[in-house]
Amino acid sequence: MAADSVAAVGQPVIEWDTLAARARSRRRWTMTALYAFLIVVSVPILIPYLWMFTISISATTGGTDTFVLWRAVAILGPAVFAFWPLQAIFEDGKALQRARLVLVAVALIALAIFVAPHLHEHNFRFMWNRNFVDELRGYGGELIQQFPSVWVAFANSLLLAGAVMLIVVTVATLAGYYISRFAFAGRSTFLRSLLVLHAFPAMTLIIPIFLILFAVSEYGWILGEIIGLGTIGGVVLVICTIELPFAIFIMKGFFDAVPWEIEMSALADGASRRQAFVRVVLPQVKVGMFAIGIFAFIRGWEEYVFVRTLLQFEKSNWVMSLYLFWVADDIMGVDYGMVAAVGVLYVVPGLLLYVFTQKFLVQMTLGGIKG
Amino acid sequence: MARVELNNVRKAWGETVAVDDLTLTIEHGELVSILGPSGCGKSTILLMLAGIYAPTEGELRFDGQVVNEVEAKDRNVGIVFQSYALYPHMSVRQNIMFPMRFKQVPANEASRLVEEAADLVRVGDLLERRPSQLSGGQQQRVALARALVKEPQLLLLDEPLSNLDATLRMTMRSEIKSLQAKLGITTILVTHDQLEATTMADRIVCMKAGRIEQVGTPDDLYSRPSSLFVAGFIGAPPINLLPGKAVDGKLNVNDFSLTCEGAAAGDVTVGIRPERISFAEGGIPGTIDQTEPMGRETLYVVSCPLGSIRVLEAGSKAHRRIGEAVAISFDPSDTLVYDSRTEALLGDVRARAPS
Ligand SMILES: Nc1ncnc2c1ncn2[C@@H]1O[C@H](COP(=O)(O)OP(=O)(O)OP(=O)(O)O)[C@@H](O)[C@H]1O
Ligand SMILES: [Mg+2]
Repeated sequence: MAADSVAAVGQPVIEWDTLAARARSRRRWTMTALYAFLIVVSVPILIPYLWMFTISISATTGGTDTFVLWRAVAILGPAVFAFWPLQAIFEDGKALQRARLVLVAVALIALAIFVAPHLHEHNFRFMWNRNFVDELRGYGGELIQQFPSVWVAFANSLLLAGAVMLIVVTVATLAGYYISRFAFAGRSTFLRSLLVLHAFPAMTLIIPIFLILFAVSEYGWILGEIIGLGTIGGVVLVICTIELPFAIFIMKGFFDAVPWEIEMSALADGASRRQAFVRVVLPQVKVGMFAIGIFAFIRGWEEYVFVRTLLQFEKSNWVMSLYLFWVADDIMGVDYGMVAAVGVLYVVPGLLLYVFTQKFLVQMTLGGIKG
Repeated sequence: MARVELNNVRKAWGETVAVDDLTLTIEHGELVSILGPSGCGKSTILLMLAGIYAPTEGELRFDGQVVNEVEAKDRNVGIVFQSYALYPHMSVRQNIMFPMRFKQVPANEASRLVEEAADLVRVGDLLERRPSQLSGGQQQRVALARALVKEPQLLLLDEPLSNLDATLRMTMRSEIKSLQAKLGITTILVTHDQLEATTMADRIVCMKAGRIEQVGTPDDLYSRPSSLFVAGFIGAPPINLLPGKAVDGKLNVNDFSLTCEGAAAGDVTVGIRPERISFAEGGIPGTIDQTEPMGRETLYVVSCPLGSIRVLEAGSKAHRRIGEAVAISFDPSDTLVYDSRTEALLGDVRARAPS
C-alpha cells in the first residue's frame, strides 16, 4: 500500500512506448556500428582476393592496364560501404530488404556495363594447354614442355591434402580418446609434451627431416618408393607429424566433454567397447573431427616449404603451390594475368571447403575446447 | 529375475578404497535400497554389478553363478545412471531402441517392445524428441524405459530421483515401486535420500565409507539402528544423540543423571527419536528454545539439563511459545544406548529418566 502511493506521487509516469522505441533504435545503431566495423576490418583481407580474381579474368598478355581493376573497385567499394547505412536508414525489415536488392541490382548493372565487356578467360588457358610457356616465349619447333599439366598438380595436391586429413583425423581421434579415457604411466608428461611439440617451429627441423627422408630413400628399399625423398607419401607423413600434436590435444578436449556415464550406459545396454565407441562416443565428437579434418586438409593444400624442399625433384609430383611458384617464376613479368588465374584455381577448393563446412567450424568455436 | 550375491567384495583404486569386504545377498524380485552419504561407494557397487568395474577382490554371483569375468554386455543388467546418461544424438525412440540393437530380435518385434516400454513409463508420445527437449522427469522415465526394454534380470537405479522436484519425486517414487512390483525385477536402488529408501525398499543397506553398517527392513533401521552412524543418518528430524558416561548404574549426561537399565560402562551415547519424547507434567524441566512448524507436526527445541533436545509433537500449529517452561519425558523402551567408542548399539541397555 505504502509503496504504491509513493510510486504514484514521487515518480513521473513511465512512458513504456518511448522506452521501447529508444531500445529499438539503440539496437539498430549498435548493429550498424557492428556491421561497419566488420566491413572495415575485412576490407584488407577481401581486397587482395578481389584483385586476384579481377586480374585473372581481365588482364591481357603483356599488358599492364589496370583500368578494369579500378573500375571494379570503384563500383564494388561504394556498394559494399553503402550496405550498412541502409541498415540505419530503413527501420522496416521489408523496406530494408528492398533497398538492398536495389543496391545489388545497381552494382550488377554497373559491372555489366563498365567491366563485363573487358573480361575474358584467356588467362585460364593453362588449364587445357600445357605449352603456354613455350607459346608465350614464341619458341618455334620443338616444345620443351617445362610444366606438367596443371591437373596433375591439382590431383597431387588433393591426394596430399586428403591423405593428411585422413591420417590426422584417424590418429588424433584414437589417440585423443585414449589420452582422455585411460590412465597410463607418463600421461601428463605426454600431454605437456604435445603442447611443447606444437610450440616448436617445424621449419627448424627441415634439414633433419630432409636427411631422414633421404636415408629412407637410400636404404629403405620399398619404403623409399612410398615415403622417401621426393615422394608425396614422405611429405604427407612429415605434415601429419607436425599437425598431430595439436589435433590430438583438441580431440582429447572433445572426448573429455563426453560423460563417462554415456559410455558405461552403452556397455550395460549390451554394446561392446568398440560398438560403444563408434555408436555413442564418436557422434558426440563429430564436430571436433570435422574441424581438425578441415584444418588438416587446408594445411596440406597450402603447404609450400616442405613440398619445395622434399618434392621438387620430380615434375610428376608437383603440387599446386609448386606449380604456382614456377608459373610465377617463369612468366610473372609477361603474363601476370595467368599467375592470378593459377592463384584462383589454387584458392577455390579451400574456399569451397570453408563454405560447406562453415557450420561445423562455427560450432566448434562456440562449443569450446576444454583442456 | 536373479538372486544376487556379493561375497567379500572389495574395490580399490590404488590407495582409494571405494568398497571394502562387502557381503550381501539380494533375493529374487526384491527391491533393496543402498543408502549412504556421498562417496561411500554406492555407485561403485552398481557399476561392479553391471560389469563396468571389475572387483579387486571377492566374487559376484547371479543365481549362484560367479559372474566376475562376464562382460557387461552379456550380463543383461538394466541401469539408470545418476545423470540418466541418455544418448544426446539419438531420439527418445532410438535411445530406447539402443539395447535392442544388440539382441537377436526381429525389427518389428523390437519396435513393438520399445513402444511398450515407452508406454509403461508414459513417454509414448515423446518418442521423436531429443533428450535435450525433455524435462528432467521425462528424461528419467526414458532412461527407465531404456533400462527395462531388454527385460533385464537385474535393475540398477543410481539416485534416479535426485534431479527431480519434490512432487515429481513423490510420484516417481510410487511409480517405480509399483512398476517394480508388477514386473517383479530384482532391483537395487541407490540413494542418499533416506525417505526414498524407507518408502520404496523392502530392505535397506546402510553404508558408510565403503562398508555396510546395517542391513534390514526400513523399520529395523529406524527403530533399532545398530550403530551411531545409522541412528544419526536415518530419521528426519534427526535423532537426539546425547553423549554421556555410564557409572555405577547411572548414565550421566551433562551432569544430569539418568538411571541405567542393563550393564554399561564408560563413554556412551544415548539416542532418543524426537517423536518419542513428549511433554508431560513431572518430567525433566526445560524451556522452549525454538519452534519449527513442519506440516503435520511441530518441532520444538527444548533446552534442559540433558542439553538441547529436539521434540516432535503432532499438530501443525505451535501452541507453545519460545521461552515457555515445559517438562519432557520419554519411555525407557524408546531409548537407544550406544558405546561411544565402538559406536555399536548396546542392545539390552535402556535409559530411564528419574521420576
Ligand atoms: N574411477 C575411480 N577412480 C578412483 N577413485 C574412484 C573412482 N570412482 C570412484 N572413486 C572413489 O570411490 C569412492 C566411492 O565412489 P562412488 O562413486 O561409489 O560414491 P557414491 O556413494 O556413489 O557417491 P555419490 O552419492 O556422491 O554418488 C569415492 O571416494 C570416489 O572418489
Ligand atoms: Mg554415485
